[in-house]
Amino acid sequence: MSKIELRGVSKAYGATLALRRGDLSIDAGEVHVLIGSNGSGKSTLCKILAGSVRPDGGEILIDGKPVTITGPRSARDHGIGIFYQELSLAGHRTVSENICLSDMPVTRAGFVDRDALEARAARYVALFASVAGDGFSADTTVENLRADQRQLVEIMKALATEAPVIIFDEPTSALDRAQVDRFFEILRDLKAEGRSIIFISHRMDEIFAIGDRVTVIRDGETVGTERIADTNPAAVIRLMVGTQDELAPTNGAPHATAVARTFVLTLQNLSGKGFANVSFEVAKGEILGFGGLHGQGQSSVLRAIFGVNPVASGEIVLGGKTYAASNPREAIRRGLAYVSGDRGRDGVISGRPILENVTPIHYLRQKLRLARPAALADRVRPALEALHTKFGGLGHPINSLSGGNQQKIVIARWLIDRPDVLLLDDPTKGIDLSAKTDLFALIRKLAAEGMGIVLYSSEDAELLNNADRILVFNGGSVRRELTGADRTRYNLYQAAYEAA
Amino acid sequence: MTATTQARPPAPSPVLAFLKQPLVVALALIVALLLLGEALSPGFASAQQILRLLIVAALLGIVAAGQNLVILGGREGIDLSVGGVISLSAIIAGNVMNGADSGILPAIVACIIAGGLIGLFNGLGVTLLRIPPLVMTLGMLGVLQGLLVVVRNGIPSGLAAPGLSQFVTRPFLLGLPGIIWLWVAIGLLMAFMLTRTVYGHRIYAIGSNEQAAYMAGVPVKAVRISLFMLSGVFAAIAGICLLGYSGSSFANVGEQYMLPSIIAVVFGGTPLAGGKGGYTGTMAGALLLVILQGILTTVHIDESGRQMVFGATLLLLMLFYGRGRAMRG
Repeated sequence: MSKIELRGVSKAYGATLALRRGDLSIDAGEVHVLIGSNGSGKSTLCKILAGSVRPDGGEILIDGKPVTITGPRSARDHGIGIFYQELSLAGHRTVSENICLSDMPVTRAGFVDRDALEARAARYVALFASVAGDGFSADTTVENLRADQRQLVEIMKALATEAPVIIFDEPTSALDRAQVDRFFEILRDLKAEGRSIIFISHRMDEIFAIGDRVTVIRDGETVGTERIADTNPAAVIRLMVGTQDELAPTNGAPHATAVARTFVLTLQNLSGKGFANVSFEVAKGEILGFGGLHGQGQSSVLRAIFGVNPVASGEIVLGGKTYAASNPREAIRRGLAYVSGDRGRDGVISGRPILENVTPIHYLRQKLRLARPAALADRVRPALEALHTKFGGLGHPINSLSGGNQQKIVIARWLIDRPDVLLLDDPTKGIDLSAKTDLFALIRKLAAEGMGIVLYSSEDAELLNNADRILVFNGGSVRRELTGADRTRYNLYQAAYEAA
Repeated sequence: MTATTQARPPAPSPVLAFLKQPLVVALALIVALLLLGEALSPGFASAQQILRLLIVAALLGIVAAGQNLVILGGREGIDLSVGGVISLSAIIAGNVMNGADSGILPAIVACIIAGGLIGLFNGLGVTLLRIPPLVMTLGMLGVLQGLLVVVRNGIPSGLAAPGLSQFVTRPFLLGLPGIIWLWVAIGLLMAFMLTRTVYGHRIYAIGSNEQAAYMAGVPVKAVRISLFMLSGVFAAIAGICLLGYSGSSFANVGEQYMLPSIIAVVFGGTPLAGGKGGYTGTMAGALLLVILQGILTTVHIDESGRQMVFGATLLLLMLFYGRGRAMRG
């Protein structure tokens, strides 16, 4: 009998079906790997098990009995512990306090029992004593730790739940080789105790080193479970790819192969926070794609080019001249444009009229002082129409529109005074299909008119259908360049999951 | 999901829409308050009295113009130092002109420089040192109060020039004194600046989404510093006018304007979170507050009582704004 079993679990966010039919069966004493591309639904599945998301349908069985997980507390009561990928540590508290954060030992009077707390924490700190490195002890304040040490604390925190089932969602991203080896030893000990581990990782070598079985999720559906011993990385990737569009359409982009290529943007060994030694060039009229799993440095590179994040070393050449921007203002003046997928944070000037949301770049590029509504409207309308934006009037607040139309307005900013290079940072996140179609039609038109475009998308189909070349990012650097007939989903996944 | 369905709420009847405009509501309230005052104490709404109320409202309104800008700029923008700047400005002006018309221009220049400098310090503290505006300007207020006590020891000093006193109190055009016209001019300038200039649009942009404004090339820090400087300058101008109104000045003459300047802004429809609203509403707010103050004085509520009423008004307004936000969400 399985320790945990999920049958046909589903979850929708609004109109988006994040999980269509999640089936999963975990045995006691196994490390079960969960794998799937961006947005396949594996995070949703974990969140459902951890109690942070309530499923819409399906069944969850623990030890053969149907259960309802109502929240994080209830997940704990059912014996499920979780390691959080996005750091959930209290920075001002010590390592010990963080390890015991979710279950503080208390004295009879109701105060924190410091002796018990430290004794319990010490057991987990000792597990990693040989690999934790300098400056790590039970009473170090977490904010003084390095990234890998913090990740170790997260692992200790998950272990301290002593739960029969522990979910590890990308627990090794910041760890070095020795730390990963030690962690795997500990996992094998847990297995020997009969505990179950759900393991999510993007490193194929790790999956094959520690996993017993692997379940592949594609488009919100479980497509198969294999014994690790009976399969190989290529077979797993083929399961992730499925039979869909094995080869990317050529999309008839002759400009990509044109002989005379003028480079509008060149990066040479650019390094900074979250990326290292990134080099590429973008030609006039070319759409260069950034692919790979979420958060492998694609966004960081784009933001560094745009002057939002600092550059540590390397060189950027823009339009034939060396370029370095310390803020977006300078970048815009030099002819760069950047569209963020997080429009709520980086794009929409909420509560303000549509007109004022389109004009800021125009003001800057034309060094305007006065804002004449009639003259501005004449420039704003064509930009909005180019994207088939649906809006009531230019004076209406931007919030009155749907997400897709809001994003169109944010993009229209860059269409009045055309930039030379357009940086798109996952621009279609959370917008409807028709808006996506309009957007990519425009992007291809801009490229045809000679703009250089860098497109990062977490939707692999968007990349395969629109990019002339694809750089696959993995662990902060470019792992592989896919051109021409190599632009297949299989190659994209293989490079994304390759060992670092 | 597709587009404009929720773009426009169904149009209400034009009459109702007109009556629901904040400005119409404010004007109705002003008339109602005047009638109430007249009922409580005959003569309250006499021409003479209304003129006096207008002068005081202009003083408050000029201070509130700067306060309004700082609040519009968002990120908990507020300027608590205006009271100190008004007092300082009144003292500088009184001592520079010392009763002579020839000293008016140098006094104005000196006061505006002083107010601008104090605003610059506030702005630098808020942007470069990332001190919350509340703390920064409160600290500045403390420094200014201490400075005034040290310099003048609380003794009234300085003398308004006759020309200045006339500007504030004597009819100038259409039976209204110069200060009223100055206020009207400031009102027009503010409205133009906020709606028809790039600078105005940038103020709203940083107030409603600073990060998005930054990504769109708005010089966020420079704009925010300039807002605090403008607040200092407006408070300095109010200080000069206040000297003209009272003839001489003393150390803490400006303090009673700090809280009302904030209330006038909030009353006028600019939320403390910034990013929306404008100065026209603030002008109505200033008028309302001054009339309210007049009524409280008429029914023999002293200064401390009035401050309590003002404080309670502000809290009440915040409560309504909180409800509004909850309903929108």
